[in-house]
Amino acid sequence: MSNAARSGAEQDVQQLVPDVPSLMAALDDGDYLADIGLATALFLAVRLPQPILLEGEAGVGKTEAAKALARVLNTPLFRLQCYEGIDAGEALYEWNHQRQLLGIRLAEVRDAALNESDLFGPQYLLRRPLLQAIEHPGPRPAVLLLDEIDRADAEFEAFTFELLAEAAVTIPELGTIRAAHPPVVVLTSNRTRDLHDALTRRCLYHWIDYPAPARIAEIVRRRVPGSAGPLAQEAASAITKMRTLDLAKPPGIAEAIDWVSALSVLGITHIDAPTVEKTWGSIVKNRDDLELVGARGAAWLVGDGSG
Amino acid sequence: MADFRSAISPPGVDAASLSAGLVTALRRAGLSTSPDRAVRLAEALRLVPPVAREPLYWTCRVVLVSSREQVPIFDAVFAAVFDGRLAPGDRRGSTNAPPAIGSGTRLRPSPPSGLTSAPIALHKTPLPALLPGRELSGEGVGPERDAILAMASAEERLHETSFADLSAEELVQVRRLVREIVFSTPARLSRRTRKSSHSSSRLDIRSTVRAAQRSGSDATRLYYAHRRPRPRQLVLLCDVSASMEPYTRVFLSLLQGAVAGARAEAFVFSTRLTRLTRQLAVRNADQALARAAANAPDWAGGTRIAESLRRFVDAHGRRGLARGAVVVVFSDGWAQDDPDLVATQMERLKRLAFRIVWVNPRKADVNYRPLVGGMAAALPYCDAFVSGHSYAALAEVAAAVRDGRRTTQERQGNS
Repeated sequence: MSNAARSGAEQDVQQLVPDVPSLMAALDDGDYLADIGLATALFLAVRLPQPILLEGEAGVGKTEAAKALARVLNTPLFRLQCYEGIDAGEALYEWNHQRQLLGIRLAEVRDAALNESDLFGPQYLLRRPLLQAIEHPGPRPAVLLLDEIDRADAEFEAFTFELLAEAAVTIPELGTIRAAHPPVVVLTSNRTRDLHDALTRRCLYHWIDYPAPARIAEIVRRRVPGSAGPLAQEAASAITKMRTLDLAKPPGIAEAIDWVSALSVLGITHIDAPTVEKTWGSIVKNRDDLELVGARGAAWLVGDGSG
Repeated sequence: MADFRSAISPPGVDAASLSAGLVTALRRAGLSTSPDRAVRLAEALRLVPPVAREPLYWTCRVVLVSSREQVPIFDAVFAAVFDGRLAPGDRRGSTNAPPAIGSGTRLRPSPPSGLTSAPIALHKTPLPALLPGRELSGEGVGPERDAILAMASAEERLHETSFADLSAEELVQVRRLVREIVFSTPARLSRRTRKSSHSSSRLDIRSTVRAAQRSGSDATRLYYAHRRPRPRQLVLLCDVSASMEPYTRVFLSLLQGAVAGARAEAFVFSTRLTRLTRQLAVRNADQALARAAANAPDWAGGTRIAESLRRFVDAHGRRGLARGAVVVVFSDGWAQDDPDLVATQMERLKRLAFRIVWVNPRKADVNYRPLVGGMAAALPYCDAFVSGHSYAALAEVAAAVRDGRRTTQERQGNS
């Protein structure tokens, strides 16, 4: 791991991402607003290079960060959604057995000679995200997103070590495939369980905080066309206020975007109590929460007072 | 910040000693960092020149911190090192320097001796007291045999005695037995598969083709696979408030055994909730309990069941820990908070969990009726209600955990 990691990023990438402020600006151009903490984290992930583990509440933009990074680097993003029981066949590669059977049949019919290396050649290989990211031809490294790694079981975590450490995978029939351009690896976790120390040791770490209302408003403005007016700001402060309540599922940035989209579809330009009553469903997605928020009332939510 | 800026420029030269110094200060504060992190930090500082406090802070944090819990410690140490609370010499951080660092940086949790409760006092008892069971059973026996033999011995009285009535030596023995109790939870189907001889299972094309290829012929034999059953997650929530104190000593041993043996997740609560899985996962039982005690600051305090359950559901349960799991709550149900709140949180937990087992030592009293307060509120959501007050009664707990039925049962006391 060390030798690969110490060599630093490729020339091409170095020019594209010379320092933290320019990465911040580039992310901004791609309509992803990163604060200095996140920008530093992503910068180091690209330039060291080193896998980065992103944690944070649901909906603060962990997955989106990886996508934005791929846009900045102008490379493909390979995403692996982890779940319990995921294995190499779903993450790395699988042989296309149906096609192999068909190949055998065809060879029989045509009376052609068929040997093993024909059957286990690249044309019968189904490439899953990990292999795709490693085989990415360049010119710049791909971005590999291992989403919700905590949902996969511990064995799978261990299986990813080779990939994280060596940027290489071993397929018995084909040998070891080494990445020409080691991918930029982004892992996200929702903290359903403790990740293994061996994994966290290999990674940089960043906790994404929930953003302030002004930043939410800015994100919403970027994402929802035609929300330039006070709508985004009002929605952001209402949602921030709602997060002070003890909700089971506090609304996040995604809800803010959904809500403002809904309001602009309805042709509403200003949030008031009746509007909120009509559109609860965009922001509150749990019956207990609905009761709780309903008890405080829509007027409280849009009111100017701090209470 | 001219202070540190001048101290670390030019960055290329001093980055290494700066990294080493910070890493050492962090290690002294109880935040373990491996030496390769210091190397990585030096590398990172070359990429992000520390021209102001903010870039320096974020670079160090991204490289050195590996979980959210470490952030406050990191912040404190960072402030101590860079905001001038340290003499410059300390920043060089030679490992054998005297701990001249201000007391503010020594953030390691206070040692267990500072705590007052019984669980800690216990493992001060001399270890030989643990051994009678082994001597009695002779050579080459596993823990289960120990337990069985011990049961058949003259010590049988111990198994029926309530944990609250045990003497210190008896307690040590019982705790040792309790640690060996093996929990098994009902199974569920995982997504992983296993070879099967039944043609009712799904055809496993991969194995079939591989076999055909090995034999060099057509696919003559078909292989099947079925989804492998896996035990459900076991989650143990133990009330460590003052009213539960006579029992928590034993229940903690139970938690420790379950974490080590059944991959259970363990939490304790009184006024707040503390996750102890990591601390209890150590093989050495005494060490595990000491670490657990050091990490749960509210031993023998009041009880806020509803609040603790809410914290559990919000921070852990909803994220997947309790989904489809068997949740065991060890508590007498005496709560300071409103019974309605307890009911609300139990309802939420019930929606997530496969089964909820409530272990209440007070149930052993024939006159006990769970009619009021938190216990009455919680009971409708429990699938099993058992006492678990003695070693023999813990068998009931194990049976309740093993049970695959989800119906609410056995609501009454054992009169």
